[in-house]
Amino acid sequence: MTHENHSRPRRPTALAVGLLAILPVLAAAQQAAPRTPPTRGIFIEKSFPAIESGKWSGPRLADGQPDVQGHWSNTVGNHNNWTDPQGGIPGDPQTRNRKLGPRAERAPSRVSDPADGQVPFQPWAKAAQEDFLAHFFNPTEPKYIEPLARCAPGGVPKSFIWHGYEIRQFPGYVVFLFNSGTRVIHLDGKPHLPPAIKLWNADSRGHWEGNTLVVDVTNNNGKALFGRTGEFASENVHIEERYIFSPDGKRYNYVAKITDPTVYTRPWTATIPAVRYTAKDAPDGWHFETTLANHPKGEVIVERDERICVENNGGFGNVATGTPAR
Amino acid sequence: MTHTTTRRAFGLALLCATLAAALPPLAGAAGKPGQAAHGERIPRLANGKPDFSGIWQTTSAADYDLEPHATRKDAPPSPGIVEGDAIPYLPKALEQRRKNFEARNSADPRLKCFTLGVPRGIYYPEPFQIFQRERDLTLLFQFGHSVRTIHTNGTDHPKVPNDWWLGDSRARWEGDTLVVDAKHFNDETWLDRAGNFHSDALHVVERWRYLDANTIEYKATLDDPQVYSRPWTLGVLLHRHREKNFQLVENYCYTLDYDPHYPPKP
Repeated sequence: MTHENHSRPRRPTALAVGLLAILPVLAAAQQAAPRTPPTRGIFIEKSFPAIESGKWSGPRLADGQPDVQGHWSNTVGNHNNWTDPQGGIPGDPQTRNRKLGPRAERAPSRVSDPADGQVPFQPWAKAAQEDFLAHFFNPTEPKYIEPLARCAPGGVPKSFIWHGYEIRQFPGYVVFLFNSGTRVIHLDGKPHLPPAIKLWNADSRGHWEGNTLVVDVTNNNGKALFGRTGEFASENVHIEERYIFSPDGKRYNYVAKITDPTVYTRPWTATIPAVRYTAKDAPDGWHFETTLANHPKGEVIVERDERICVENNGGFGNVATGTPAR
Repeated sequence: MTHTTTRRAFGLALLCATLAAALPPLAGAAGKPGQAAHGERIPRLANGKPDFSGIWQTTSAADYDLEPHATRKDAPPSPGIVEGDAIPYLPKALEQRRKNFEARNSADPRLKCFTLGVPRGIYYPEPFQIFQRERDLTLLFQFGHSVRTIHTNGTDHPKVPNDWWLGDSRARWEGDTLVVDAKHFNDETWLDRAGNFHSDALHVVERWRYLDANTIEYKATLDDPQVYSRPWTLGVLLHRHREKNFQLVENYCYTLDYDPHYPPKP
């Protein structure tokens, strides 16, 4: 079997430089309509607005759900660094000599509570996170390889900071089609799976409160980690998510209360901002990986690329050893 | 679940029609009543097309070997699901199939938990879920959690195609039958555990049709001039999972070899 990468970004691509070779191929498929050139990069915003929970005044689906279907991506950065999203991976040999500048000039920590922006780890867990990070660029044991580098699902919550994704809604369901993995939010009130079952994407029960999708997340296997800096939860973690959509439907904030008495000293809150992408945006190889459908009457329809990872790759663990992505 | 339209045991069409008129509109996936192959009510979308939303699985042993076979140590017996029994391989391809069969316990891509492809994902012995909108069907497979989209919005195959693991699926309705044209596959998937295979020239035409509200008749005609001497057809029945609170349980089995390393332990 051959596992060469084909022309579309069918695998997670670790570094933006690796995308340059892919973009010209994508461009061929985009000639059907003029689209805004990609200028935003992975880091779009250094700050973002709060969104209040309240009434939903936007369009609704036939079953009454707010219609938030479409393509979305986070605005502050990828999973390189959980608490300093635009700070890069500490110890990165590629950027070791680059001055970062004052912390205040970059996007805030994804830890919105406590106020210091740090995950309130218990001492053993803080030591484990620092040990992971210390070995990230020289992984002497399998546990130091970030699982997403092996095509594992991004899980909860990392999937929200790993490439763009599509939301599809159906009666009784909200479905997230992530770059690495798929997550189904059940809206029908059925009980969670038995606690013996632990999953990469956990088990999700949700309901809508006005503009806010409220989701209770259990059965998380805790294996996905939060990013390359090694923050983590255990299989005992309980996550209470609020997806708060803005009145114009153009963005939402993911606000999640994360509780795990075996890893943290107290519950804490993660906040991740996201914006919507539409046919007016050009695919950029990271946030928005789509093509335009071939419609006989020229209707502009955005289609998601097939997402395949383990089948085409041995993982991209080369990043962990500091080898530039090609 | 809103789309588990109750199978009604009344045989009289008149009574069915009376009931249909008396029933309140069902929320969500199950819409207005309609007729399936045997005159039963089937779930429909708001636009009147059959609504295949639900969790489905075959009871056949198709994935062990599409062709008729007696029992063997790695497969239960089965009369097969191929019309005419034998897949019409070209001579050279028949030899490749023989090699695949000999190596099946190590070479089957399923053993690496790779995306199963089309049509194998449909009759693989794990449940899959169909989510349906007017514009498309989203097929979520438990195995590998791969996602296949079947487009029903009048779009054609892409002008700049790729070779995809799940191909490119464009569908139209012939009455109450969903007819799917799927092509642009790669050559890396198998059709079953017995080494039946295809090339990247594979072209699949699927026909999906309700037999009753809880049973889909699924047929797939496979054409591949590099491998088969003529198009051939397989068929299975898909049964709706109606167990209380049934749901898919993701199966990313390719992670099993390394997942014990995570997360850190005290």
